[in-house]
Order: sequence, then C-alpha cells, then structure tokens
Amino acid sequence: MVPDAQFGWSGTIEGVILGATKSDGGTRRVSYRIGGGTTLPFLEEDPTSPSPLIAFEVCDFPPFWSPLVKDYCGDLVNNLAEWAKTADTRYRADLIRLHLNSTRQRNFSDIPAVGKAVETVLSATGLPLIIEGSNEPKIDSEVFQRCGETGQGERLLLGTAEASHYRSIAAAALAYNHSVIAQSPIDVNLAKQLNILLKEIGVQRDHIVIDPYTGALGYGFEYSYSAMERIRFAALKGDTDLAMPIICSAADTLTIKEVREADPAMQDAVAVSWEFYTGIAAAAAGAEIICVRHPETIGMLREAFASMKARNSAGGE
Amino acid sequence: MTDVEMAKKRGEEHLKTTIPAIRKTFSYEDTAYHLPISYALTGTAVHDLNTARDVFAKTGNNPIVASECLLAEKTATDGRESAPYTGFIGDTVIRKLGYSLVDGSILGLALVIGRPDSPGAAAAICRELQEKYMLTFLAGPVIPILSDNGVKLGLDYRLIPLGSAPVYGIHFVDVIARVAMMFGGVTPGDASRLLAYAAERAKAIVIVFPGLSDDEIALVDGMRVLGFPILSIGDYSGGAWIPAAADEVVRKGMEEKGIRVNVTAIPIPMGCSPAFEGKSIRKEEMYVEFGGGRSTAFELLRMQPAENVKDGQVTVIGPEIDAMKEGSANPLGIHIDVAGKTMKKDYEPVLERRIHNFVNYGEGSWHVAQRDLIWVRLSKEAVAKGVKIEHLGKLLASKFRMDFPQLLDAVAVTLITDPAKVVEARKEAERVYDERDARIKGMRDNDVNTYYSCTLCQTFAPNHVCVITPERPALCGAISWLDGKIAYEISPSGANQPIEKGTQLNAQTGEFEGVNRFVRKASHGEVGRCTLYSVMEYPMTCCGCFEAIALMLPEVNGIMVVNREFKGETPSGMSFSTLAGTIGGGAQTPGFAGISKNYILSDRFLQGEGGIERLVWMPSQLKEELKNRLVQKLSDKGLGDFFDKIADETKAKPIEELIVYLEKTGHPALAMKPLV
Repeated sequence: MVPDAQFGWSGTIEGVILGATKSDGGTRRVSYRIGGGTTLPFLEEDPTSPSPLIAFEVCDFPPFWSPLVKDYCGDLVNNLAEWAKTADTRYRADLIRLHLNSTRQRNFSDIPAVGKAVETVLSATGLPLIIEGSNEPKIDSEVFQRCGETGQGERLLLGTAEASHYRSIAAAALAYNHSVIAQSPIDVNLAKQLNILLKEIGVQRDHIVIDPYTGALGYGFEYSYSAMERIRFAALKGDTDLAMPIICSAADTLTIKEVREADPAMQDAVAVSWEFYTGIAAAAAGAEIICVRHPETIGMLREAFASMKARNSAGGE
Repeated sequence: MTDVEMAKKRGEEHLKTTIPAIRKTFSYEDTAYHLPISYALTGTAVHDLNTARDVFAKTGNNPIVASECLLAEKTATDGRESAPYTGFIGDTVIRKLGYSLVDGSILGLALVIGRPDSPGAAAAICRELQEKYMLTFLAGPVIPILSDNGVKLGLDYRLIPLGSAPVYGIHFVDVIARVAMMFGGVTPGDASRLLAYAAERAKAIVIVFPGLSDDEIALVDGMRVLGFPILSIGDYSGGAWIPAAADEVVRKGMEEKGIRVNVTAIPIPMGCSPAFEGKSIRKEEMYVEFGGGRSTAFELLRMQPAENVKDGQVTVIGPEIDAMKEGSANPLGIHIDVAGKTMKKDYEPVLERRIHNFVNYGEGSWHVAQRDLIWVRLSKEAVAKGVKIEHLGKLLASKFRMDFPQLLDAVAVTLITDPAKVVEARKEAERVYDERDARIKGMRDNDVNTYYSCTLCQTFAPNHVCVITPERPALCGAISWLDGKIAYEISPSGANQPIEKGTQLNAQTGEFEGVNRFVRKASHGEVGRCTLYSVMEYPMTCCGCFEAIALMLPEVNGIMVVNREFKGETPSGMSFSTLAGTIGGGAQTPGFAGISKNYILSDRFLQGEGGIERLVWMPSQLKEELKNRLVQKLSDKGLGDFFDKIADETKAKPIEELIVYLEKTGHPALAMKPLV
C-alpha cells in the first residue's frame, strides 16, 4: 500500500531559475527552474516533475584539482573551453560548475583573468553556469563583482555564501540578477539564519539555493543527510526561510582513503562508485542539484534517477 | 547669515517660473532610467517641456524635480563639463557603486557642496570621509579649492567631482534613485517605496558650505524628504539644517544617519572567540578572582547621553593586575556606559547579560552569574602573556560595538578595583537593579495581548518552543517577558518572536488559540496544543536549560519541584539529571514541566492543577532560596502555614516517607481533586 505522499504538508519549495535563454536576455541554450516540490523527492505524483540536475565541475587552475580527474580527462583540463564543451556535448551534464580556484593561490590579484575564465566557459557551452568564486576577504569584493558583471543577464548561480562571508556574493547577485548558494555547516538552524541574513540584505527567496555541506558517504554523509531531511521537512511544513532548493557537492569523495589507496586498475571505478552512491543518497534526501567531478558518474546518476522516478509513477507495489 | 527658511521659499518660487522656460529636448546617455529622480517618483520619462511640467506638477512642485529637469536641459544645451567634472554618471558605474554599498566596502554616501571658507578644513573633512569608508560626491567651488590644495579627486579616491556649480549636486540624488531601482526593488512611479528606501536603506548625508543660491538651497533642503541629514558649516541659520563645526561634522552626520564604522580586531594580548566560551578556569589555573562571594563585585550597563560616552575609552580606577597578589580575591566593579541613537533604557538589562558571554570569549578570562553576584577569574597563563584588568575593558568595549552595530554608537568601560569605591558604586548599582525589577513586577498576563517566544534552544532541541509571559519567565530563568520584547525589537528576525495570544480556550490551564497556532508552526508541526499554566495537560515543551522540573507524584495527588543544583534522589525515585534526560529535547511530556525558579513565586504557578497548594516537595536549598518571597506570597493568599507543609529531603526522602509527612501535616493536596 502506498501512503498519501502529501502528509498534510502545506509548504512548497521556492522555484529558482538557472540560466537565461535568448528570449530572457541571456545566451544559454536551455534554462531550468529548480524547486517547486510539494513533497519528498521521487514521491511527486506529476510524471513531468523534474529529476535532480547533474552539474559537472571544472576549474580554472588544474594544479589544485583532483589528480584522478586530471588523469581521466587528460590534457582537456588544461583547456578550459574544451573541457566545458566536452562536459556539455560528451559527458552530457545538465549544468557546468566553474571553480575559480586560481583565486586560492597565495596573493592572487589577477582579477581580469577571473572574468576571462567566466567568459571562456560562457562561450564554450550553452548550459547554465554555477560559478564558485574566491574565499578570501581581500579579493572577494573584486572577484564577485567581476563574475557578476561578466555573467550579466545569464542568471548564474554564484557560490558560496557563508554566514561569515556573504555580502560580496549577495551584492553581485543583486546588482546583476544572479542567484546565490548559501552554505551552512550541516546545521538546519544556521542554514535558516544565513537565509535570513541574505533576505535582510535584499536577496529574494527565489534567488537562493541551500548547500547543507555534503560529506562523503561513510565520512559524515549521514549528518548531511539528516540536516537535509530536516531542512526539507521544515520547508514542507511551512517554514519559508528554509523552502529553497538544495545543492550538494560531495567533492571529498575523490580524496577519501578507499579511493586513494585503491588498486590503480580499480581506482576510477571505486571513485565513481563513491561519487555515485553519495549522489544518489543526496538526491534521495532532497537535493535538486548534484555536483560531480568524475565524468563517468554523470550517466550513472541520470539512469538511476530515471529508474527511481519510473518506479514511483508505476505506482509501487 | 542666510536664513534657510526664507531662501528656500524664494528658491521654490523662482524654480516655478523657470520650468515653463524649458525649450529644448534633453536626455542622458548610458542610462535606462531617463531622468532618474523624476522617473523613480512618477514613472514618467521626462525629455521635454511637457513631460517636465507634468512631473513637476505631479510631485507638488518639488524643487529636486525642477532642478533635475533644468540641469538636464542645461547639459543638453551647453554640453557636458570637461574633466575633472563627471556630470551625469552612467548606469554601468552605478551598478558598481551599488555593489560596493551592498558589499559593505562603502559604508555610505556623502554630498559636499558649496564654497568652503577654509580649504584646509574642507580637505580634512574629505580625508575623514575617506577614512570612514564613505563615498563622497562634490559639487560647486569646493572642487577647485580642494584640487588646488593637492587633494586627489576621482572614483579611485572615493571623491567624485560632479560639476562646477552646486546644482550638479542633483546627480547625487539621481545616483541614489537608481540604486533604489536597481538594488532596492523600487519600481518606477512608486514614490512611497522610493522615499522609504532612501530614508531607511540609503546611508546618505549632505554637508553644505556657504555660497548656495536660493534655488540651490531649495534643492538641498528638498533632500530632507529622503531622510538625508543636512549639516551646514557657517553662514546658514533657521530651517531644519544642523549647524556643525568642521571638525565634528562628519561624526555628527554619520551618527545622525546611523552609519557606523565596524570594529574588526580587539587589541588585547589574548585570544577572543566564542570558541573559548565553554572553557572554565579552575582554582589552580587562576591568577586572580573577583566576586563569587569572596569579594565585592558587580556589573552594571547603563545608557548615557552621547556626549558623555567616549567610544572605546577604558578607565581603571584602583590598582592594576600587577599590584594584586597571585591567588587573591579582589573587588571589582564593571561599569559599561553606552550611547546610541536607537538605544533605549529598556535594553540595558538585556545588553548587560552579554557581559557574561563576552568575558568568557576571552581565552584567559571567565565569568559566571550576573548583577552583584558575578564571579570573574583571570588565568595565570593570560596574566603571564600581559593581560591586565584594562584589557577586560577593551574586550567588552570592542565586543559590544561589534555585536550591536545597529544599536550602539559608543561604548566606554570603567573598571573599579579600589575597595572603598567598589562598595560605594555597588549601592548605586543595586538601586538600578531594584528599579528594573519593579518594572516587570506588577505586570500580569491579562494586561497584555502579546507574549514572546524563545526558540534559541532549537539548535539542540529542534522542536522546542518557550512561550514567555509576564507571569511566566522562560524555563531557563534568563529571559523575562520584557527581555523577550526587547530582544525582538533589537533583532526582529531573531529567536524571540511576538505571539498574539488570541482567543482564550481555557482560562484555568491557560490555553490560547493564538499560542497554539504559533507553537504548531514553530515546532514544525510537532506540538499542536500548549497550555501555559498546566503540568498535566499539554505542558510546554522542554529544551534542557530548565532551572527546575515540576512533576506529578500520583501517590500523593501532588506536584514536586526539583532544581538543577540538587544532586540527591527525589521522592519520584529519580534524581534531577535522570529526570532531565527523560523530559528534554523539545518533547511535550504530560505530568512534567521545565520551569524557572522564579515561576514558583508566580500566581500562575500550578494554576491548571488548582494552585500552589499542589506543591508537596522541594529541596531544602531551593526552599531556603525562595523562603522570604514565598512566605510573603503565601500569607498574602491566606496560606500562612503552608510553607512548612512543603516537604524537603530532610523531612521525606522516599515516597513512603512523603505520604506519612503530608498526612501528618495535613497537606491540602491530599484532599484536592484527583490529578489523574
């Protein structure tokens, strides 16, 4: 018997638009409206309800990137345009998430390069973009200003705002109409607090995506899962300050011991499995966007999501 | 002297006659907002005489609108002024400026206008504005005067030369109108939203030097509608302008508008972070201590007029740490004087409670309790690093400014260590404490329609909701109804929210429709009903902070109370800690309630169960603590002999002994309506 999947809930997850097509003043091939859910993931009765989106992560400074991904992708990682294009056309990601990790270099000051990297990815692919900026108070203001300006009209998703560090991102979102990733350290109350801070500064609720912080499966993911569940329950029960879509990026999965010490012949497979299962669990907990770094994970996740949805629309047993 | 009021009237009259003289069509480049002020106010795109007339009439002959139209026509006729003057600033630059405002890299905006008498003073004012992260716009003769005196101008220097005449100051307002439309969600034509945005969100001040024409005075005075304080230096009298001297004008203006420079680092030789808050300093680690029953000590935070509080000032009256013997107990008086435009006297006790947190933030300082019961320690390690009494003051002054930037403009701390002076100062402090207590004392639940919630503890008890009423303080004992009200005023989206109590559903148990509705929402749907005065029916949820637990003892048809400090077994067969583990975590447990000690003295205590006559047992130490006040309360109720009928651990330990004791003393609970 299937229980009523509505559970008497009254809340709806806010819809957030990612990417703007030509008709909306941007240059993207597609745009998405994530969120909008009224119950737990994969329980929506409407068969057209969207599956979680899969974002492929690239970066502008490969020396700081996972060696595993570099080995797999080869020279591609040294050509940001080609890498992003391949993620779109061959890996078939839904979104590209660009990490401007060049800004993590000591005394980084080449702000024009940041704008250039954003431009490069924008022109290499027609997919909506997530941009991860700097995390250094000294340059944040300039970096986010540049990102926001370069992507004006494209409805980017900008990351990552934290309670101690959100004004520059919020400013860029407000000035150039982008959305914001709001990250809190696995804590439902801090997630709410940050959303309120963003609201107070003027960011609209339909421009916020929650990042609950995602540990790797077996390395703290259960805490993330619990925080996500509680965020989603609170939202469905009517807490509008938590009723935003969720994004998960379990980047740690590629550096855990099991992957590092795996038999070299198996290493890719182990890494992909780890990323895949963490992604599945995050989607089951309610994430609307799953970020991955290994290209092979994308197809597996997509297939899994499709079958999870199919089971439900078949009515269950 | 120029009379502002008169000049303004003349200017307004004159502007009326100039509008019909507009001949040309005009528009600015690089903007989607036409003439931004006119557009924001009316939604009309002004480009010629007819539209200008229309908008001027619609805005009630507003001098700002008139000046905007006239300057636009003039610019179209004469062309833009040459460098360094910027003239009208395009949207692209405004977006960047707006970004810096939201981002916090610019704290506010200033317009400096007119012809300064003293170039040096004008330069000093601009320097001060730069140092205080203000973005300054300049208009009129002040610009050549500054550049002739070697002051560098331009966006990079945050000094923007708008134009050669004061009337170019209009661009200052069109910048703000566009920031409101770009960032503030103000739709063109929504004048009231624009005015609200300008008054509340735009942190802007205007500094006026002499030499303004009547038209320009009317223009500048018109900016008051937008909530900008107008500060004048010399030559002006009358009107609502604030006269100021050159060396205080920036501070005065920023204060008036509530623009605050943030404190970021605390200059003391020890770490300071919430991370150290839970760390205690044991006797062996302690260098000196204050209070805790070993010496006289107290703390007092008071609001003072702004001119009496010098921000950041720390004074130590009496011996410093090097004159104190290791391991000794010394007297200490902590006086904190605060000033702020939005500060209220009612906030004093709430802010005073923060001294506790802040002192504990110090890596080597420790604080417990409150008022004249405080106990403070400094560690050997900290003193070895050079920490002095003075640094406690610096820590407090900085933390108050950092944590309450909206509330406090200035904080000064005085630390008294001189024994005679501490005793003297404490007398005054005690008078203030009494005054504060008296304020809440007479208040009744029936007198108010709004209660306050506290969900501070949802961090670890996710569905817990405290409902705080005048007669029922929060179960932790730390927040009264008044504190809840004030906390809500200080931080409107914080953990204390107003609860409209709504229709009364049950007078005896204290069940209200509005309270139920609030609790259901705040407990995320977990708790649907909540009574304020009952232990048995839908009692309030418990987090874990309760000072005491009230619980039903079915064997004696009564209710016992045990406080946190009591370590032994109670007649229920359980100790406080076992009981606490059973009822905490945000659950609603009929028969059990977490309460504050003071609630026992409330007329509402156990009202749902028939009143205080239900109380059968309390630890002797708690009885002693409440004795004076409780005995008084009981005799007022005509229960003069009841106090001794309440058993304690010296009279009855297990439940069997309690039954015997209650029967022997003829305790009223035995004859009351059965609890279950």
